[in-house]
Amino acid sequence: MEGLRWRTFVAVLGVAASLVWVLPNLVNLSEVSWWPSKQKLNYGLDIQGGLHLVMGVDVDGVVKESTTRLISTMKAEMTKENVAYADVKSEKPESGEVQVVVADAAGKAAVEKFISDKYSTVLQVVGSTDTSVTARYFDAYLNDYKNRVIQQSIETIRNRIDEFGVAEPSISQQGANRILIQLPGMADAEKAKQLINTTAKLDFMIVSNEKTPQELQVMIAEAEKAGNFNMENTKYSDYVTRVNEALKGKLPEKTAVYFEKAPNAATIDAGAIPYLLRTDTDLGGGALDDAFVGYDQYGSPQVSLQFNSAGAQKFADLTGNNVGKQMAIVLDKVVKSAPSIRDRIAGGSAVITLGGGRDRNGMMDEAKMISTSLRAGALPASLEQLEERRVGPTLGADAIGKAKLGSYVGAAIIVIFMLVYYKSMGAVASVALGLNILGIFALLTTFGATLTLPGIAGIALTVGFAVDANVLINERIREELRMGHGIKVAVAEGYNRAMSAIIDANVTTAATAVVLLYFGTGPVRGFAVTLLIGIVTSMFANVFVSKVIVDTLVNKFNFKKLSV
Amino acid sequence: MANKNTESFGRFDFVGKAWFFGGVSLILVVASLIYLAVHGINYGIDFKGGTEIQVKFDQGVTIDQVRDSVASLDLGEVGVQSFGEGNEFIIRFQGREGKTDKETNEILNADLTKVRGIITEKFQASNPDIRRIDTVGPQVGAELKRNGLLAVFYCLLVILIYVALRFDYKFAPGAVLCLFHDAVITLAVFVLVGKEVNVSILAAIMTLIGFSLNDTIVVFDRIREIDTGNHDKGFKFVINKSINEMLVRTLITSGTTFVSALCLYIFADGTVEDIAFSICVGIFFGTYSSIYVAAPFVLLMDKLQFKKAKAA
Repeated sequence: MEGLRWRTFVAVLGVAASLVWVLPNLVNLSEVSWWPSKQKLNYGLDIQGGLHLVMGVDVDGVVKESTTRLISTMKAEMTKENVAYADVKSEKPESGEVQVVVADAAGKAAVEKFISDKYSTVLQVVGSTDTSVTARYFDAYLNDYKNRVIQQSIETIRNRIDEFGVAEPSISQQGANRILIQLPGMADAEKAKQLINTTAKLDFMIVSNEKTPQELQVMIAEAEKAGNFNMENTKYSDYVTRVNEALKGKLPEKTAVYFEKAPNAATIDAGAIPYLLRTDTDLGGGALDDAFVGYDQYGSPQVSLQFNSAGAQKFADLTGNNVGKQMAIVLDKVVKSAPSIRDRIAGGSAVITLGGGRDRNGMMDEAKMISTSLRAGALPASLEQLEERRVGPTLGADAIGKAKLGSYVGAAIIVIFMLVYYKSMGAVASVALGLNILGIFALLTTFGATLTLPGIAGIALTVGFAVDANVLINERIREELRMGHGIKVAVAEGYNRAMSAIIDANVTTAATAVVLLYFGTGPVRGFAVTLLIGIVTSMFANVFVSKVIVDTLVNKFNFKKLSV
Repeated sequence: MANKNTESFGRFDFVGKAWFFGGVSLILVVASLIYLAVHGINYGIDFKGGTEIQVKFDQGVTIDQVRDSVASLDLGEVGVQSFGEGNEFIIRFQGREGKTDKETNEILNADLTKVRGIITEKFQASNPDIRRIDTVGPQVGAELKRNGLLAVFYCLLVILIYVALRFDYKFAPGAVLCLFHDAVITLAVFVLVGKEVNVSILAAIMTLIGFSLNDTIVVFDRIREIDTGNHDKGFKFVINKSINEMLVRTLITSGTTFVSALCLYIFADGTVEDIAFSICVGIFFGTYSSIYVAAPFVLLMDKLQFKKAKAA
């Protein structure tokens, strides 16, 4: 009664907003510039088809590796600084904990001092006994490190997928050490899977000096002009292929042009330095055992490489035959660095020095990037496929068609029943039910939620559920009428007294939905989201809007009777 | 069922029959628990780990042909089941276990490639269309199972607390007991008809818990309302009157939800069909239990409380 005008306004506003949000799903409004919402409902992979992969990231393995390296650096440094120690070891290297076994009681203080002097930002002493000092990576450092490993993996996968050209890939972190990859559309799931799983290609190539960089620049510019393309509008790998095709015959035998990102450019598209490389060296990532960040005598970061025995021999020959030339380290056709060979490098280890002129942090990042790239072919940690779900487009279309049909028939039966059983109030309830469904789709669309098959089951259920509020109200109104109250009082009391039951029922259902949302994954969360949204819209449509309609009929138009 | 002494609280003496139905419920729950314990739950690949491939052919491929060709790969136990109109099949295998989870994952992936290979090769003439592939590794499966059980546990806990605070302590055990009753019986029926329990079925059972609770709460709400002002007639009278007054509403709400779930069950297939099935079964028991289990149990709790108060 009170504030009917105000409530009518809110009800109309709510319904209008729902329409605004739902309409782009039904009609193509992308051309209508003034329409406020362009967003469409997202369909889950189980409906539109596609590939869903969960990859486990071996974060522990990376930490383990890092701890092992830390142990050998510590040993070397302690020897250099004359700190007496018996051994440095780790029982659980994947936890990032190291134990320094001290030589004698007096040495303990020296070890502790060494750790706090040299590793104050990285390690904390967590315990000590008479014979040993235990230190561990700071939690913040370790978490940051793990997170970086995952972010880097995500970035790498994203780059590979982008190369592949999937329409709307979604690549995200799931839990502490998982990556969820969702690729809608299933055109070539097998190839996409391969792309994610393959490691990047690493090559060591000798830089040819048969053409000067200036000559190369000119030739490339001509080829770009003739072929009407450039690096910014072409995928990098395609660009390289096109440039080399265009220059075929103009370049010396067994050479190819690859590029390096210019030192001050943000991306390779923004600035690239061409290199003419010999393609006949045949020394790749398979030759490498390990790569890690080290420091030169001035403390500048560099990348240390360790070859396996076969690789060491080849590398020694290659460097021996090309003294004075540059050797390019090429990752996925991108030149990462091109140091000059000063001498034959035997013994299986080598270093990549980084170009100077930058701050230490920048160099450090680059050294880390190169070493991780070299170690696992651009993926910082090894990946393991934990879960794969693939749905073909025909299945999704079939499934949603049938589920939709089921929902329509169910809704129709309910509406007919309501009209027969509750007459005019049944008509109000049916209108409310329609608004309820409209509201669900509107909210799903605006929240950018994903509609899955279980989600459709959730909506169908909500339809059944939503009737509950109407039934509670209508039964109350009947009771009040039976007690001899007039229609106005009956309606007011009916809504009023049904409220506590409606709220209690909704709160408990909402509680289940929240628990589902928290523990569920994938489609189950979709189910929970629709359930939650259904509760909100049901309160609005079946309680608020239906009351406005009934109040308008009874109070404004003075209906003396309202069949219930 | 109507008798002259009960006219004041309504047509049916629910509380009077509570002992009988309580016994029936107890037998059903115990039987369900025993059945589940003996037979075990057929977990689907979501929980168990493994691979499921759904493939559709043009006419003319028999289930035995598919079974034989997959069996020739020697992948351990492989299940083949026809689906839909007969020329569509679901192939399931769990994969041989490796020494580590990682190895099991790798074996699973390799096996998947083999099965895909043999199907597309052998039945090339029948136009194989691989419509769905699900592969779940062992650790993901174990995790999903743990999370699922945790979800049920927390759900019941939240409800217990909410009901205790919103109503009265004596209401809470009845509500939770009744939810446990519904969930266990529904699960047992589900397993009895040979369906597999997957993540979405667990979600359906959780929703059922929500629905059944919804029913129970509405009756509790009415009990609380009638209780104020009818103290002289006794709690038994209050409960009977409440259930009677809410009976129409309970039946209509359960009926409409049942109809919408039934329509989904009839028309949809796959996951949605299974969800709809468990909801249909659950609504039946949920409605029954909110009438015959939850409310009478409140009476029992009330008596206990009263006795204790008297003793003190």
